[in-house]
Amino acid sequence: MLHTEDLSVSYGAVQALKSMNLAVPRGEVTAVIGANGAGKSTLMRTLAGLVRPQTGQVLLDGVSITGKKPEDIVRMGVALVPEGRSTIPELSLEENLRLGGLWRDKAGRMESQQKVFDLFPILAERKNMRADTLSGGERQQLAIGRALMSDPRCLLLDEPSLGLAPLIVTQILELVSRLAKETNIAVLLVEQNAVTALRVATTGVVLNLGEVVKAGPAQEISSDEELRHAYLGY
Amino acid sequence: MTNFVDYLLGGFSNGAVIALMALAIVLVWRSTRMVNFAQVGQAMFTTYVALTVQQSSGSWVLALVVAMAAGLVLGIVVFFLVIRPVKNSDSTGAIIATFGVLIALQAGAGMIWGGDPQGFLTPVDNSGIEFAGRIWPISLYDILVLVVTAALVIGLTLLFTKTNLGLSMRAAAFNPEVARLSGVRVNRMLITGWAIAGATGAVGGVLIAPVSTISPNSFDILLVFAFTAAVIGGLDSLIGAVTFGIGTGLVISLVSGYSDSGNAPIVALVLLALNLLLKPDGVFGHHGARSV
Repeated sequence: MLHTEDLSVSYGAVQALKSMNLAVPRGEVTAVIGANGAGKSTLMRTLAGLVRPQTGQVLLDGVSITGKKPEDIVRMGVALVPEGRSTIPELSLEENLRLGGLWRDKAGRMESQQKVFDLFPILAERKNMRADTLSGGERQQLAIGRALMSDPRCLLLDEPSLGLAPLIVTQILELVSRLAKETNIAVLLVEQNAVTALRVATTGVVLNLGEVVKAGPAQEISSDEELRHAYLGY
Repeated sequence: MTNFVDYLLGGFSNGAVIALMALAIVLVWRSTRMVNFAQVGQAMFTTYVALTVQQSSGSWVLALVVAMAAGLVLGIVVFFLVIRPVKNSDSTGAIIATFGVLIALQAGAGMIWGGDPQGFLTPVDNSGIEFAGRIWPISLYDILVLVVTAALVIGLTLLFTKTNLGLSMRAAAFNPEVARLSGVRVNRMLITGWAIAGATGAVGGVLIAPVSTISPNSFDILLVFAFTAAVIGGLDSLIGAVTFGIGTGLVISLVSGYSDSGNAPIVALVLLALNLLLKPDGVFGHHGARSV
């Protein structure tokens, strides 16, 4: 399980995260939703080590990963799929995947690659193509696949729906949700698209201006009209 | 026509050396997005080291190997002493700092080895080969230069395309953030880029030394040609550096043959200016590759 204790992050005078307590259990998807500027991406970047928190802790299965470098955090088992096109277009699909777990032994890497190909068969078909020839949905699958190559205990997905057709987003997220259950990975999903996110998630967390407004079962949150009107805008 | 062919043939080995220097500039650009103007100074310095080794051991191969090792080390030293502290503040400062390194290396070499040009012995004959009833403008040594250059280029290509280290270096160059998130120790990759660039430049220095003699400033003109080749090739393209390095060698040879060798740098700069006007991303460059 990944969890944070009183995690606070500031950019100069602006406090992006305020004393945040969050738990991401293994075997399920936890969705963090909220409007633009709620602090969702800051949360993800802090968990992955790209941003240093002012106070508080990030713990993976009870061990602190606070303030560690991103390249060490991914080796410890927390993999982030950042927002936007996070594949490297100049590399082939196979190289993009391989990049995700270069420090691991070859047998482990091959095993992970097979798992990725089982999850996203289209990637196996296009193995030798350059990443910039892929469609948006395929690229997102590749980005998730690269993260899975590190054999993570916790997978962080930052706005995977960005620029993708709703149907494709749903398909990808349902696969991820199944993966979480089958392989006991903790998945933290950050989304502006609350409907889709809450559909695949077990737990929902509503974020506003860097604070947790509400956390609870995803269904409860999606049926809470007041919450929806106030923070999610639909 | 005979003249044309002779001039062209005569340009290849010089072009190979320009290609190596251009490669060194490109390797540094790919890792830290800056031009290292000290590159030829580092090559000059390691060539003096090679000269000392050759004079005391008599072995050209040993001199080449020691020069490469010295080039690796010097690349790392320059990175740590000058580039790293300055780069954190701004990149213009770092580029100016590389000029400082160039001047310091030239002054240092002058103090250690003196300012007079010195000769570097070739391991094989450096006079034109006689074949089919005439003497060609290519020597056994020119062929050796081409073979060593080709071997190095092939080695670098394999390193970048076939090994995990090469993949990490390319990822670190194309997208440092994604590379870090994938577990690549990006800073180490940058240093490795500088080290490999240093060794590549060192090979170029040892190869050109017998032809040009060596003095603290004798490689300065090489900087103009190598920089031109690297920029026209796109600054982040290894193929571009090699292609236009050899191309620049041929152009210099033709210009020197038909007019005067003093015109060669002017022609190079005109080509550079034309390239920047007509194809600012370079011929092999990715779009935006040069924006910092």
